[in-house]
Amino acid sequence: MSQATAVPGTSWNFRDYLQRFGILISFVLLCIALSLLSDRFLTVSNGVNVLRQITVNGIIAVGMTYVILIGDIDLSVGSVLALTSVVTADLLQKGVPVPAALGLGIGLGMALGAVNGWITVRFQVPSFITTLGMLTAARGMALTYTQGRPITGLPDGFRFLGRGEPLGIPMPILLAALVFAAAWVMLRRTRHGEYLYAMGNNPVAARLVGIHTGRYRVLVFTLSGGLSALAGLILTARLDSAQPTAGVAFELDAIAAVVLGGTRFTGGVGGLGGTLLGALIIGVLDNGINLLNISPLYEQIVKGAVIALALLIHRRAE
Amino acid sequence: MTDTRTPLLRMVEITKTFPGVRALDRVTFQVDPGEVHGLVGENGAGKSTLMKILTGALQPDSGTIELRGRPVRIPDPGTGQRLGIAIIHQELTVLPELSVAENIFLGREPTGPLGLVDWSRLYRQTQALLERLDIDLDPRIRVGELTIAQQQMVEIAKALSLNADLLAMDEPTSALTERETEILFRLIQGLRDQGVTVIYISHRLEEIFQICDRITVLRDGRHIATRPVQELTPQEVVRLMVGRAITEMYPPPGQAPGPVRLEVRNLHRPPRLHGASLTLRSGEILGLAGLVGSGRTDLARAIFGVDPVERGEIRVHGRPVTLRSPADAMALGMGFVPEDRKSQGLFLQMTVRQNTVIARLKELSGRLLGLIDFRRARTEALRLVEELDIRTPSLEQTVRNLSGGNQQKIIIARWMARAPSILILDEPTRGIDVGAKAEIHALMRGLADQGVAILMISSELPEVLGVSDRVLVMREGRIVAEFHREEATQDQVMLYATGSLERLPGPPEAQA
Amino acid sequence: MRRHLWIASLALFALLLAACQPVAGPPPAAEQPEAPAPEKPVIGLALSTLNNPFFVDLRDGAQEAAEALGVELIVVDAQDDPAAQAASIEDLIQRGVDALILNPTDSDAIVPSVEAANQAGIPVFTVDRAANGGEIVSHIASDNVAGGRMAAEFLCDALGGQGKVVELEGIPGTSAARDRGQGFNEYMGENCPGVEIVARQTANFNRAEGLTVFENILQAQPEIDGVFAHNDEMVLGAIQAAEAAGRADEIVFVGFDAIDDAVQAVREGKLAATVAQQPREMGRLAVETAVKSLQGEEVPEYIPVPLALVTAETVK
Repeated sequence: MSQATAVPGTSWNFRDYLQRFGILISFVLLCIALSLLSDRFLTVSNGVNVLRQITVNGIIAVGMTYVILIGDIDLSVGSVLALTSVVTADLLQKGVPVPAALGLGIGLGMALGAVNGWITVRFQVPSFITTLGMLTAARGMALTYTQGRPITGLPDGFRFLGRGEPLGIPMPILLAALVFAAAWVMLRRTRHGEYLYAMGNNPVAARLVGIHTGRYRVLVFTLSGGLSALAGLILTARLDSAQPTAGVAFELDAIAAVVLGGTRFTGGVGGLGGTLLGALIIGVLDNGINLLNISPLYEQIVKGAVIALALLIHRRAE
Repeated sequence: MTDTRTPLLRMVEITKTFPGVRALDRVTFQVDPGEVHGLVGENGAGKSTLMKILTGALQPDSGTIELRGRPVRIPDPGTGQRLGIAIIHQELTVLPELSVAENIFLGREPTGPLGLVDWSRLYRQTQALLERLDIDLDPRIRVGELTIAQQQMVEIAKALSLNADLLAMDEPTSALTERETEILFRLIQGLRDQGVTVIYISHRLEEIFQICDRITVLRDGRHIATRPVQELTPQEVVRLMVGRAITEMYPPPGQAPGPVRLEVRNLHRPPRLHGASLTLRSGEILGLAGLVGSGRTDLARAIFGVDPVERGEIRVHGRPVTLRSPADAMALGMGFVPEDRKSQGLFLQMTVRQNTVIARLKELSGRLLGLIDFRRARTEALRLVEELDIRTPSLEQTVRNLSGGNQQKIIIARWMARAPSILILDEPTRGIDVGAKAEIHALMRGLADQGVAILMISSELPEVLGVSDRVLVMREGRIVAEFHREEATQDQVMLYATGSLERLPGPPEAQA
Repeated sequence: MRRHLWIASLALFALLLAACQPVAGPPPAAEQPEAPAPEKPVIGLALSTLNNPFFVDLRDGAQEAAEALGVELIVVDAQDDPAAQAASIEDLIQRGVDALILNPTDSDAIVPSVEAANQAGIPVFTVDRAANGGEIVSHIASDNVAGGRMAAEFLCDALGGQGKVVELEGIPGTSAARDRGQGFNEYMGENCPGVEIVARQTANFNRAEGLTVFENILQAQPEIDGVFAHNDEMVLGAIQAAEAAGRADEIVFVGFDAIDDAVQAVREGKLAATVAQQPREMGRLAVETAVKSLQGEEVPEYIPVPLALVTAETVK
């Protein structure tokens, strides 16, 4: 009997590994293909370039991973990014010191996220609905706040966030790496992370073992809002301009990275390693399309085909 | 003695290997037309695999299947259905939003000239079918409003509407009350009289002996025996199933109970709780019997802080308490094993280690950041796995792959890890095999002997009577009777539970 | 619980309303006059979006013209949603406006609305983006092909007829991207054989994409002398990429639209030139054309709005 229970288990683990390697295999295959097609692809400067480009989506996707892990969804990330960006840029132009403006911007993002979470928990609304509302509301507020115009020309201290290279590492990459590392530790090394997995697996059981599921849900949305704000600040610093129209459809890229990374949409299974690979695949793909100068008319077909293929490879394992 | 007739079904030398294990090893299984054939064995013995092969959900590695003397191939469930084979699973597959009639004729509704559903004909056909089966149900009612037992009837009716003449039932009574089980058995007997053959899988030997004509025993993927029921005793069947004799089914009673740990006074929570009261002492196992819907689970949930109560008082260790969440109850030393381990207890995709210590994580992690001390967590989990004899290849095994009994032990281990002073168990042995059941009973007794106060809810009367020191009977949201271990009988408990017994001057609130 | 849902949706709805209301714009003067004179003609202007400064300018120009000519102008904003646009045009027709100026969110989706206006006997004018059906009195738009040629001519001269050029395209399939690209490439092919287009990639009219796409192209192309982008947003993103890579000085950037940020960049010398569409002019011409037509004058089917090149010289 112990034998009989042992074996499906090992086969599951085997699948689990295959699934985890599946996305890695897709990524490596994509990189090999691009190296063969372009001698410009496999260079240090292009590597740094790709990493820098995925920071915005990557940071948002970290929050989205948390949200999807507990079985929720956050559609408002792009709008929250836009609103926090324009508010922060406006504060900067009004002479608020950089650290204070950054704190206020991220705080605003967290507040918006907390509103998402609070409404979802308090009124038992599906997060799909709540964050869809926030998607529209935050966008509207960003447009109202700026009257539709971008805010351009920001202080150097702030632009350091996008252009700075302490210790030779570009700031965006440094920040994203810190975010990933901290988020990974929280998810895999603390009870909070284990609670989130438990909530995603079985919210009823999670409550029955004493987890304050409501508080954790609000916390996760707060985190997602804060990370969207941080991503927005990096984007703003890189562009030297905050745009009320920034971040449209960013939620789709973030969700794509998370799902491509193997996190299950129903929650409870997955993690940040996969999300990082998912974001990398999307970034490398965009980079490759530009390097190879693929006609814009075919671009979306190529992109869709590669993503579908990658998903196929590692979803086969399930 | 059956050789003179052609068997309805012969599965010959069936072998099925999953990577690394032989789930079925040259199993031959033979069913005669018109019989009710019991299929028993511990979890993991191969019953489900055999049934999946029969219905076409799985393909055997080798072996043949003959139906009515002719060899057949069943490459998929659709083919199984066309050959007249149907299975009623433990988890029902009815659609709660649709009516009885729609569920039965889903995808095959009679249509009018425009291709629209001919509702009156649909209801007439359903009515006729239900009458033939002697099932008393309104074809128009929404299935979600029916009891589990009635939903099962719908499923059976659906199978028979597909002209199934071989019906396999997997643990059909696990969610039924005794009375519903009686009704189901009458239905099965009626089916047999109409020539339907039934394969009946169950852990409950009393039922097997009550309803079946012959019994086949599987153990570790092998066919052990097939015999007419008259030639067997339950003890023999258990011996065949586990390969050894289980002499004592229930542990002996414990010593005299200690001080009062929990007092519940007059709990109200409409629609199910209407003034329930009880007293629970250290070192005793208090059994809570009653029909499904009598409020037993609601009472347990209220005590554990899952659902808020409208009024009433809960005292723990003599002090009145307000419980806003399970976390509050846990802080007072309570633990709760919920009735449905899959939907309320387990984190199926998480590991044995994670499931075992989840309720202890606060103590096993740093205060500030919550960093888990993995070494302590693993040590603790390992200790529990060994103590409870949880059979798992490793602590990193995903619990979904464990057998029901081991899963249940993990949930109990989860609370033992917290050394609770009050432990509530709702249907602790539902759907698990005989061996694991006895182990869980022994565990409960062991905990009680250490001074834990245990409240156990069970729909199985023999379990309630065999394990408990004291038995409470619940009906319509109140406690209506109390028995001591010696004085309780199944008949007495049932009489109070069903409300047939009204001769006492009001419900005996003995504990008041 | 159902009541909770209601409260939540109400709360959200209120939030949405609060967010949307002020978008209508700063000069409310012409929108809701207290007592319209009975004879004053009413013109409806249905804009695809006010999220883009271009259309804000267009509205301002239209409003100025309306005030000058003494007509009432009702502006509705579809927020880039064809369904919302259809609904608001329906409202305008119900309200009995004398003429409709449409700036379609989608050239096909607008057709039923145009036909509805036709049936109601209301003359229809389109501005900036055309409609693919129905009866249109006049279409008022920039000549994007001419603008593309204008950009090409400037870039060719600035590079001395020699060099490697990158073209950042707009959203594939849009008429602006098609026409600007066509004009640019026609001119380069015919008159500037020394210039090679080394990369042609889309950045979807978006500044953030302009940044990343051009970062990638910088990786692929060791030598780039000039960039033409189908709009200013993309070229401003590309300039950020080039500055970060330390290659901004080697490259002549040309944009399109002359939005405020771009004009500022021209002033700072970062952007060599941008083709100015004149949205104010466009708005003004649209209203003037509509009024002329209402007064019984013949108006041409197509009224090109002149484009202008904004360079370091013209900006002063």
